[in-house]
Amino acid sequence: MATLKTNTLTGTSTAGSIAVTGEGNSTTTNLQQGLCKAWVNLNGTSTISTRDSFNISGTTDNTTGAYTHAFTNNMNNDDYAFGSCHNGNDFSADRDGSDSGDVATSSFKRILTLSGTGTQDNDLVLSIVAGDLA
Amino acid sequence: MSNLLVQNIKHTNNTTSMAIDTSGQVTIRGEGSATTTNLQQGLAKCWINFDGSGTIATRDSFNVSGITDDATGRYTVSINNDMANDDYAVLNYTSGSTNSSATAFNNNFLGGNNLQTSTFAISAYAADFEDSDMVMAQVTGDLA
Repeated sequence: MATLKTNTLTGTSTAGSIAVTGEGNSTTTNLQQGLCKAWVNLNGTSTISTRDSFNISGTTDNTTGAYTHAFTNNMNNDDYAFGSCHNGNDFSADRDGSDSGDVATSSFKRILTLSGTGTQDNDLVLSIVAGDLA
Repeated sequence: MSNLLVQNIKHTNNTTSMAIDTSGQVTIRGEGSATTTNLQQGLAKCWINFDGSGTIATRDSFNVSGITDDATGRYTVSINNDMANDDYAVLNYTSGSTNSSATAFNNNFLGGNNLQTSTFAISAYAADFEDSDMVMAQVTGDLA
């Protein structure tokens, strides 16, 4: 069995781009593009607290049901793909969203948890980020 | 291109980080070191951030060949390198048009039961389907 010992893997053509064979073995995918760049599990009630996270330096409680996640290592721009959901109380009324306009930057993302006619704090707010790191 | 034929990748202290099987699947040591996980299964196979209002436009994406404006608040994303089947998972997220009322924000659900190996449909919906200026999606599952 051949074993490689190293501390760092780096692409040869582009340092931050490594191809990986896909599950079906008929194509490849990109390692860096496929990696989740940040995630967080947040208790958004009362004094908010992060249960666990990756690449999140902190979360700010903006107001009721509005939170801003700050990245430890920033994204390359504000064009990343973000997803968030929360522990619903009302199946027909609960929503997750963002303010319209420039609410995402390379260093943070603001999210809202909503129910009925307004924003609402939630005890389980889950978020995930894909995209390009700086 | 140079090829390195190897089955294990270890830290220089001899701790195994990755193991590569005969089909090229890579097993990685987990964060807690108590178990391992599959590299390929853990990778997002596709993601996109696009403006779904007016003339729709992709801001950035990975493994996406294009987007189609199907109708108000309804979009189809085309996958560049196809998935193995239609059993993958899509996370869809859209911004609302205002923060004045929760009812103005979009529910985030897929656009019907319409996952294909090469496309998937997503939508933005408040009281009705509505265009969103920030539509985002991530796909995990098996590549072809």
